[in-house]
Amino acid sequence: MVNVAAAKKKLVQVCRECHRVVEGESCAVCGSSNLSTDWTGYLVVIDPKRSEIAKRLNIALPGRYALKVR
Amino acid sequence: MDMEEFTNRIFAIKTTSKQERTVANNIKKAIETNATDVQVVAIIVPDELKGYVLVETPESQARIEQLVEKVAHARTVVRGETTLGEVAHFLVPKPVVSGISEGTIVELIAGPFKGEKAVVKRIDTGKEEITVELYESVLPIPITVRGDNVRVVDRGEAS
Repeated sequence: MVNVAAAKKKLVQVCRECHRVVEGESCAVCGSSNLSTDWTGYLVVIDPKRSEIAKRLNIALPGRYALKVR
Repeated sequence: MDMEEFTNRIFAIKTTSKQERTVANNIKKAIETNATDVQVVAIIVPDELKGYVLVETPESQARIEQLVEKVAHARTVVRGETTLGEVAHFLVPKPVVSGISEGTIVELIAGPFKGEKAVVKRIDTGKEEITVELYESVLPIPITVRGDNVRVVDRGEAS
């Protein structure tokens, strides 16, 4: 039931551990299935090695992140 | 790689309203598919900043303007650049319950009591929830709502 509603609204889930935007049932990076649909702020890291933002947030992998997860 | 400090600039790109995330995804896609040779290292989409995305890039403003032309829903580059120090506060969102204290009069802006005014009785900073009592109700019923579901009407103390 919850999944149907989620699919309808296309709610994007993020991992509560690493704040990555996750597609599917569990986080591809940390393996956690502790996901949340309640998040705000969006960050796309393309090149973490050259990004000051990524360095400040301790992000080592490129990808899409949420700034705040509830 | 040289040990030089970052020389990245941050530009604001104006977007079609409510398409901020789409724009961020489109920029990412454009770079990953090599549709553009403009380099962008990170894109911030703060919720507080509606209608804009911030891009971190080693490129000049003219190059970002080139990028914007190729990205759907991106409109223009705001003149001038900024630094990470000026936008860093977007990276660490402040808790929504900050600025609310006990006794504050708030208006509920979502849920079944939408539009009702209420007095704050308790604040849970960890869960970002507040417990309120409706202003116009005869019986004092405590209601716990999410911190972002209220709008501050009156801070309580006249200052």
